[in-house]
Amino acid sequence: MAGILIVEDDKDLREMLKISLLMRKYTVLEASDGKEALLKFRPGVTDMVITDLIMPDEDGLKVIMKIKEIKPSIKIIAISGGGKAGPGNYLNLAKALGADEIFPKPFSINEMIKKIDELLNAEQRD
Amino acid sequence: MALVSEDPVLAGNLKKGIGESLDFVQITYFDSEDSFLSDFTDSRTDIILSDHRDHSARWKTFLEEILKQDSDSLVIFIVEDIGRGRSVDMIKAGAYDVLSPASIGRIQPLIHKIIRDIDDKANLRYLSAEKSFSDQIANNSRSMLSIINRAYVYEKVNATFCNAHSIGVESIIGKSLSEIWGEETFESKIRSNIDLCFLGNTVRYEANFDTPMFGNRYYEVVFRPITKETGEITHLLAETFDITDLRHSQQIVNDMEEEFKRLKTNLPIGFLRCDIDGIIIHANSAFLKIMECEDETSIAGLGINEFYTEKGLFEIHLSMLLNAKIKTFGRVQLFTCNGNEIACRISGFIVSNESDKPSFIDFAFEDSSRELMLENRLLQAQKLETIGALAGGLAHDFNNILATIFGYSEMLLNEIPRSTPSAEKVSKIITAISRARSLTDQILTFSRQVDQEKIPVNVVEVLKETIGFIKSGINENIDIKEDILNTDVHIHADPTQLFRVFLNLMTNAIQAMEEESGTITVKLTVVDGNSIRHDLNKAIVADDYVLITFEDTGEGMYPSTVDRIFEPYFTTREIGKGTGLGLSVVHGIIEEIEGEILVSSKKNNGSVFSVYLPVSSGHHGKEEKKEISKRLLFISGNRYESRVLSLALESSGYELVYASDLNRFLKLISEKNNIPDIIIYMDDSEEIRPEDLINIYSGNKINSPVILISDRIQLQSAEKLVNSGIVKQQLIKPVSLREIHNAIQISLI
Repeated sequence: MAGILIVEDDKDLREMLKISLLMRKYTVLEASDGKEALLKFRPGVTDMVITDLIMPDEDGLKVIMKIKEIKPSIKIIAISGGGKAGPGNYLNLAKALGADEIFPKPFSINEMIKKIDELLNAEQRD
Repeated sequence: MALVSEDPVLAGNLKKGIGESLDFVQITYFDSEDSFLSDFTDSRTDIILSDHRDHSARWKTFLEEILKQDSDSLVIFIVEDIGRGRSVDMIKAGAYDVLSPASIGRIQPLIHKIIRDIDDKANLRYLSAEKSFSDQIANNSRSMLSIINRAYVYEKVNATFCNAHSIGVESIIGKSLSEIWGEETFESKIRSNIDLCFLGNTVRYEANFDTPMFGNRYYEVVFRPITKETGEITHLLAETFDITDLRHSQQIVNDMEEEFKRLKTNLPIGFLRCDIDGIIIHANSAFLKIMECEDETSIAGLGINEFYTEKGLFEIHLSMLLNAKIKTFGRVQLFTCNGNEIACRISGFIVSNESDKPSFIDFAFEDSSRELMLENRLLQAQKLETIGALAGGLAHDFNNILATIFGYSEMLLNEIPRSTPSAEKVSKIITAISRARSLTDQILTFSRQVDQEKIPVNVVEVLKETIGFIKSGINENIDIKEDILNTDVHIHADPTQLFRVFLNLMTNAIQAMEEESGTITVKLTVVDGNSIRHDLNKAIVADDYVLITFEDTGEGMYPSTVDRIFEPYFTTREIGKGTGLGLSVVHGIIEEIEGEILVSSKKNNGSVFSVYLPVSSGHHGKEEKKEISKRLLFISGNRYESRVLSLALESSGYELVYASDLNRFLKLISEKNNIPDIIIYMDDSEEIRPEDLINIYSGNKINSPVILISDRIQLQSAEKLVNSGIVKQQLIKPVSLREIHNAIQISLI
């Protein structure tokens, strides 16, 4: 099954995402910040990255840029909950940098799962 | 007359002869020349008649001696024979005449003549001395003096006159005034005054004349008639005083006085002179203005301490001043004559008399209210910034938590069958999350951590829609007056956010007048960016600003309330009657579009909210629309509100369809080509209720995703829709363009 890397500094939210993805039989990797995300990212097994945008150390936008560089076919979902510099702005920027989908927090997990399925199934069809 | 002869007979005859016919002649007889000469120095003798018939040559030394002592002396020699050369020598040497005994009879007429000559000579001498004096006076006078006759011709002028014209006397005498001064000057400035003088008046006037030597000068001219004994006036004396320097110095004095007066009146520093107990003696107009006093008399005799808000402070200031002579007291809170409170920077100076005893105290008052107001405003802005950063951070973390709760709730809802009490409870959790999300969104808007989706928008249109919306739901006692510019004014903003700003300010105004009737005056004008630089106290980012003011006749606010009005959760209303976020969100929205909101209010005197928004230059409105080509169906209860939302969506490129009633709605969805991609349902819609929507969806007539926009207080009906599962996204009012944009995008997945 496809592998998904969740990059999110909020432990509870990461856990919730992980549980819901595991229920959909995805392989899940976790990282609590951008630095850890770059360490845990394995181009061979990671098909998608779900990343928060505002995090300590390396922020989400950098994660997107670097991972896209390593693996251009990677699917990316950006999530953000506002704060500091405006989520609308960040999310749009994320999209411009190559995020396939953006979700402002709080989001509906059902919709996110649906989107993930769609993105990864399309990948499999390719 | 002296008679000098050694011959007593001749002397006796002469003396007798002359004395009889010329009784006014005093004759002194000397029997020798020596006796005469010894007396001569002291005597005042006009004629010396000397007998020189003896042919001696002594006459010469005698004559020389006399003439040496008095050159005017008239010496007449009597000689034996006139025809001889001696007589000629005598005349040559300076004798007046020579007589022979034969011609002695001529002596009488000769003396007559001599006396006449002497008198004439004396007169002449006197006159010439007199003339010299008057010439001295006339020529040394600094005024131009002249004698003018009836033909307007100069007969006499003094040196000053000549100097002024840099020509000689001969070039002036005999010339007419019009030749000297010019025809025009003569006619306009001189003639009538001369005519008046010839009527017997002394004429005095001032005028400026052009002189070849000194240029344009100011003169005081006096014409005095010269009246003859007969009473006839043939001439006049003209005195012309150069008063140019006087005029200039007078002008300087006047200017200085004027300058001082201006300074005293226009200088924004209040000046006060008091006695040493602080009793007011004199105040300038700036003081009266600063202190809102009617006039000087209304405050004369009052003590300055009566203006101080803090009792006893003036006495402290006074004692400090008496010690220091000069002192600045910083900002002092004062009551004006009208009882308003202001802050002034006060300086005092002791004015001492000659014996170094304090006689007065002068005070300078500088109004620092504006300075204080600006500082205060800066402080408020900083405070809001701090609260914003704190609240924004909190909202960010809170959104993370909400996301977790939302996720688990949805998972739970997926796991349990629909229409069970448990599912209903989970739905309630999800509805509560929507509320919380709306709240975090407001906080983020206030703290300006949400990017507004800005589009060119006609602010006039949005304002009119907002007023329409307000009017549709207010009590008839409240009157809304509009004074709105009748033209399009485009700014760069989110129309829904503008709507929110205007709605909020007007709702506040209505609530401020809740207890009674009142008027809200809404004005919209365009002002020059430069002209409001001082009011705004922040960077000017546009050439023009649109100024929208909302003025109410409500209860007004205390300054302490005004200071905190934009803080989140600061509310004067009862708990539960508003979130306390309204104005802080308004502030955030306006800040985000680089505008400014200012409040002025007085308790029981209503409030004015002034909103300044930068007018966008260049593009005016309808620029190229993004082609999104998605069809949105609007179901809404209030056309004004939906109009603002659709305004925003239309400019973003959506195609909008409206369904005002159920029939139209059914018709719309029955036509294949017209089926909307998304239905936006506002739950205040009375024609199409949530139940209707659920029925239609359960009949599988349509499966377009529904975005529910609900009011905080109408959540119950909203819950039904959420429960039914047809609602893709639920938004709580007020909804921003960005929110609805995101909702549409997610719903289309």
